[in-house]
Amino acid sequence: MTAHAETILPPRPPAPQQSAGRPWARRGPGFRLAVLLGTILPPVPVIAALLYTDWPPVTIFVAIYLPLQLIAACAAAISQRGTRAAGDAVIIVLAIGATLLAVIVLGSILSTIAIRGYQAMSVAFLTQNTLYISPSTPLGYGGVGAAVLGTFIIVALATVITVPIGIATAVYVTEVRGRAVPYVRFFVQAMSGVPSVVAGLFILVVLILSGALAYSALAGALAYSILMLPTVARTAEEVLKLVPEELRTGALALGSTRARVVGQVVLPAARTGIVTATILGIARVVGETAPLLLTSLSNDRTIINPVGNPIASLPVFIFDKVSLPFPDAVARAWGAALVLMVIVAILFTAARLLSARRFAKS
Amino acid sequence: MSSTPPATPAATPASTPTAAGGSPAMQSRHLSVWFGKRKVLEDVNISFPANTCTALIGPSGCGKSTYIRTLNRLHELIPGAGLAGDVLHNGRDIYARDVDPVTVRLAIGMVFQKPNPFPSMTIRGNVLSGLKLSGMKRPNHDEIVEDTLRKAGLWNEVKDRLSHAAGELSGGQAQRLVIARALAVQPQVLLMDEPCSALDPASTLKIEETIRELAESITIIIVTHNMQQATRVSDYTAFFLAAENEPGIVVEQGATTEIFSNPQDPRTLDYVNGRFG
Repeated sequence: MTAHAETILPPRPPAPQQSAGRPWARRGPGFRLAVLLGTILPPVPVIAALLYTDWPPVTIFVAIYLPLQLIAACAAAISQRGTRAAGDAVIIVLAIGATLLAVIVLGSILSTIAIRGYQAMSVAFLTQNTLYISPSTPLGYGGVGAAVLGTFIIVALATVITVPIGIATAVYVTEVRGRAVPYVRFFVQAMSGVPSVVAGLFILVVLILSGALAYSALAGALAYSILMLPTVARTAEEVLKLVPEELRTGALALGSTRARVVGQVVLPAARTGIVTATILGIARVVGETAPLLLTSLSNDRTIINPVGNPIASLPVFIFDKVSLPFPDAVARAWGAALVLMVIVAILFTAARLLSARRFAKS
Repeated sequence: MSSTPPATPAATPASTPTAAGGSPAMQSRHLSVWFGKRKVLEDVNISFPANTCTALIGPSGCGKSTYIRTLNRLHELIPGAGLAGDVLHNGRDIYARDVDPVTVRLAIGMVFQKPNPFPSMTIRGNVLSGLKLSGMKRPNHDEIVEDTLRKAGLWNEVKDRLSHAAGELSGGQAQRLVIARALAVQPQVLLMDEPCSALDPASTLKIEETIRELAESITIIIVTHNMQQATRVSDYTAFFLAAENEPGIVVEQGATTEIFSNPQDPRTLDYVNGRFG
């Protein structure tokens, strides 16, 4: 073998000056015109309908804009690429249209809550309880402080109760793989169909009316747990199933017991997903009203004790105030709805950041 | 359960490696293996002398990987798994009623075909994970980490980032990390199921050197599809073969030089010369 260093190569000719382009994106004038017409023409009657009729925007979108846009897209596609392209145009318009529809509906809910709720916002509204106000008291006095605290206490208790049980259920199904797995899964599945009011009734009858518990945050948390458990258990199960089988056999081949495989390999590998399972469980219950109406009731005072007395919570606060015949009380309900929404948004964002950072560290 | 006699007389127990001397570190006697009702291995008799390297060769689907997984009781984790016959480790049946599979797997380590480092642990944590998972106490963790990583040929590449995530290693590096991890619990026997199939030639060479060094002090059993690798690393070779819809059998076994230069069975001759499989 001869050394490469001895080989003398001829000098390389200089490379031409080039810049990165996108040759696949070149379009002719006919194409541009078709796209322009297909984009501009359909919205014209929509604007006319918005200006000269009083139909709701969603009706206009579905009944006028979507059909026109479909026709325009098909025409543009056929004129440029032939009839086979019509299918592409239909799929694309329907996909974008359905997405827009969903975004419009969601956006109008969010914007309504934000606009109406904003009127009630003040430091007093966020921090005070409703002890010294009557339903007709003007805004600026009294607020959701006690209800926010109550919701946090109830949800925190429910999480502490549910997450260990949910993870244990998932571990039984995916790791222990005992004989009862089909029954456990069926039961968890069935539990996810329990109406929330039934969960509340169950706690009311079994624990409160029997005298074991008072109307309290703990009673509400137990009712929430019934609703949360199926979500946490099923999500955790899906997440544990994603852990590759090789990691389990790898750990076993190192002389690990099954308990250590679960505790030190499988659960750590799935921790991001378990955080997600917890968050989904919280999101499932945080706005549930019916169980709390029967278990934790409501309270004008600020309550910290989770077992002794009824406690205020955001969903019940909204339910109470929205049914009162005073505009300021209804405004408080919208304000509480906005606060609830913001709390959920913060929870989700925090969970995303938390799990992202943990993942990066591992 | 009655075990049928060997389908072919070509399996010659007379030429088992034991004849070469030394008491076997591992041995399988009349071992047959099932998945559900399907019999995948029949009457496998192989002895693995202590401190040697034995290669298991044969075409895909002949039961080599299944066989190697019966040697440290990983086979039984598959639903529907069945087994008849004995597997002896230092003369003791590892399937005896009072034997804990965890202690079996601690003494008989394994490296898999697909690299499986633990993603939630650091590189250092992976090397030491066997100690943590098995509860084994060994002092001087820093020394263990350096020593085993050197043996696996990975030390120079990772010595400055031991606390980084194992997930950032390439496939070949991950496989060498897994070998270091298996060595850290000081197994007496190391099973390797095609350990180099994901590695580049340079890493493969390094691993083969490691196998030669390790075979001085522990018993190595390696499944490989690479005939050159078998001749380079192993003292003994067993050739597995399965006819269509029939369980796999050991066609021929003996010293590696014999199997490759002077095979007794025409099927072995065809296989080692690359004429099928």
